[in-house]
Amino acid sequence: MSHYNFKKITIVPSAKDFINIILSKTQRKTPTVIHKQFKISRIRRFYMTKVKYTQQSFHDKLTAIVTEFPKLEDLHPFYADLLNTLYNKDHYKLSLGQINMARHLIDKVASDYVKLLKYGDSLYRCKQLKKSALGRMATIMKKQGPPLKYLEEVRQHISRLPSIDPNTRSLLLCGCPNAGKSSFINLITRADVEVQPYAFTTKSLYVGHTDYEYLRWQVIDTPGVLDRPFDEMNTIELQAITALAHIRAAVIFFLDISETCDIQIEQQMKIFDSIKPLFANKPLLVACNKIDITSLEGLEEKYPEKRELIAALERENIPVMEMSTLSQEGVMEVKKEACDRLLAKRVDAKMRTRKADSILNRVHVAMPAQRDQKIREPFIPEKVNQKKSEAAKPKKKFERDLEEELMDDYSLDLNKNKDLENDEWKYDKIPHIVDGYNVADFIDPDIMKKLEELEAEEEAREKNGFYVVEVEEEDEEMKEIHRLAQKIREKKIINAINARIDRPKGKAVMPRVSRKRERSVSRLRSEFEELGVDMSDVDGCHFTRTKSVSRSRPPLKKARVDSEGRVRSSSKTPRDQSGVRDAKMAKKMKTIGRKAQSQLNRDGRKGEADRHVYNLKPKHLFAGKRGLGSASRR
Amino acid sequence: MAIRCQFEGSNEIGVFAKLTNAYCLTGIGASANFYSIFEEQLSDTIPVVFTSIAGCRIIGTMVTGNRHGLLVPSTTTDTELQLLRDHLPDKVKVQRIEERLSALGNVVVCNDYVALVHPDIDRETEETIHDVLQVEVFRHTVANNVLVGSYAVLSNQGGIVHPATPTQEQDELSMLLQVPLVAGTVNRGSNALAAGLLVNDWAAFCGMDTTATELNVIESIFKINDAPQSAISTTMRKALIDSMT
Repeated sequence: MSHYNFKKITIVPSAKDFINIILSKTQRKTPTVIHKQFKISRIRRFYMTKVKYTQQSFHDKLTAIVTEFPKLEDLHPFYADLLNTLYNKDHYKLSLGQINMARHLIDKVASDYVKLLKYGDSLYRCKQLKKSALGRMATIMKKQGPPLKYLEEVRQHISRLPSIDPNTRSLLLCGCPNAGKSSFINLITRADVEVQPYAFTTKSLYVGHTDYEYLRWQVIDTPGVLDRPFDEMNTIELQAITALAHIRAAVIFFLDISETCDIQIEQQMKIFDSIKPLFANKPLLVACNKIDITSLEGLEEKYPEKRELIAALERENIPVMEMSTLSQEGVMEVKKEACDRLLAKRVDAKMRTRKADSILNRVHVAMPAQRDQKIREPFIPEKVNQKKSEAAKPKKKFERDLEEELMDDYSLDLNKNKDLENDEWKYDKIPHIVDGYNVADFIDPDIMKKLEELEAEEEAREKNGFYVVEVEEEDEEMKEIHRLAQKIREKKIINAINARIDRPKGKAVMPRVSRKRERSVSRLRSEFEELGVDMSDVDGCHFTRTKSVSRSRPPLKKARVDSEGRVRSSSKTPRDQSGVRDAKMAKKMKTIGRKAQSQLNRDGRKGEADRHVYNLKPKHLFAGKRGLGSASRR
Repeated sequence: MAIRCQFEGSNEIGVFAKLTNAYCLTGIGASANFYSIFEEQLSDTIPVVFTSIAGCRIIGTMVTGNRHGLLVPSTTTDTELQLLRDHLPDKVKVQRIEERLSALGNVVVCNDYVALVHPDIDRETEETIHDVLQVEVFRHTVANNVLVGSYAVLSNQGGIVHPATPTQEQDELSMLLQVPLVAGTVNRGSNALAAGLLVNDWAAFCGMDTTATELNVIESIFKINDAPQSAISTTMRKALIDSMT
């Protein structure tokens, strides 16, 4: 992209607008309320702020103008010259200089008046000083009317200039007016330049872009040039001359060999000769246009002397090409030739710089030297070539289309395209972790083989009778015991079930402890003795080894024991009885005690927070004479 | 024809996708646009798979592979590995490797026959690469960068290396790799080639910023168009020199 962009210059207001803008800004942005009774320092500060603020606003705006407009010295010579031809360098510089001067003057006025304001001794005087300060600044600005107007015009025009990059690859079209330059640029680029059958249709420079050799080319259309000295040329022609002089481009000189542009070939050749110095060091091409009307051969037949002029060019090693922008014959050849010549020249120049060495490796293709006999073929599936040759198939539905179609209902299906033996398996869920084991840890490529091996082993074992358990022969006695044991177990289970059924539901079960003891060892002993069983030698019998049912725990705390065998504290007489001689005395004490308690009991209901009048009848309210006033004056 | 594309506004498409002659992996983005670019071009011939590695979408940096196999870093979860296994053809071996330099895409560059690897890679990893990907493995640098995977892109037809690679080194590498090589850039002068470029033997994808000249270099060195590979130093030479200086 071009670095020269003049589109961003801010609008330059007229002198009157300028003053209005600044003064209303001052009014809006500075304090407005002041009174004469304020301290004088405050009044001074108030007006100083106004003066300084106005000055600063002027200063900023003027600085913006001075800096935003391009400085001719910093520009590419092409632009500097172009601006000179278009806007007159002296006028331009003078205007900017005047603006700069105005800025200085305003600064000076402000500093003077701020100094004066320091000595202002009343509100009135301060105000008058401010008024005259602002007035003088406005007067200075009012005098800048013409330069501001001129600069605004320049701004409007400059922002409409085509953005020409003077350093890039460019083709420059020049020639006499109405030779077909604009038709040519319209043909090879998408620039839409006005084409009319009269001279000077193109009054300024136009830019278009075209592609050739993987590169982008800038094509510049210039206004026509007439055969006269440079100092007599008008602004329109001078633009073309400026472009020719400063842009290092391939120049295509358009020669109208049909002479329908009302300029004789001889005159066109004169024009060519007069601007020839500008073609130095540039690839040059002469394009003989309008061959649909007269071709070079036709010219030779009719006017051999004119043909001779053109032939003279060829002798100077300037390529002359025929073309017609009407029939588009030869147009591309001209473009190609011009581009090739310029590119060759540019590359040649660049190769001579030091920078070129660093990029030489990038135009080098390293071809492999054979290092072994192995053949390394590219791997391109058959289908790719088939697809290339096939005509475009009806469009398949892609994921993106699906997403667009379903909108919010779309959810990414990661299983859809799985490449499995059986499509039904696609959506099978494999758990990540089972029984605390990571399933993936047990995935084994040989798992099926291993399974088969295991199954074969199992089969072999079965065959060999590994699992046949030999049944031992049991004798009659053991059989009987087993049978009985079985019966007992069954009975036990049945009993347990019955007990569960019989148990009343929702009622607490009475523990056995509170029931009357039905069985005991002593009862057993007596009953058995009654029946005549000898119970003398029962040591080691089951029932003698009984333990008491309730287990008594050792006490948590040891009982305290003192020397008298009892703890003293436990024998103390109660306090209400200690020191009491007899019942009479006890009764009397009780009465005294009750009476003593009564006041306390009554007070006991009161709390700290309760209202309490310390002195219901203070003496000073009741003692002495009273006049007419009331006794309850409190 | 090489195709310009973007992953959610990023030109570093090579970070989010991996393309080989047997499969194409793409990261899971917010929309299916990126995936569909590959689907459109490739799904007739090779599987295009939504993939994540350790929950991340920067798969191009994390994995490496070719027609024979795919190597994923140790951070890959079992589920992701299973998903990859289910999507890829059975001929492609998928292997998870324990390697300290876990961004395999940055440290390994390979085609179906040879691989360049980071000089500091484990010996075991090197063996795994040799066995799984069935390639000859060379420890090498590209233009003094150890991250060979980032600064070189390779197919069976050709390769492109870091723009600062000297001519001599290019010749050396070309001898090792047995493919024509050129030094180049993608994405308007970016030297992170692997990040901006995805190629296999018949398709190429590059970042949206890639210029016409870069695209032409890519197309001709990888034989995507019909121009001969030497075109870079013959017919395109002028354009390249003029646009690069």
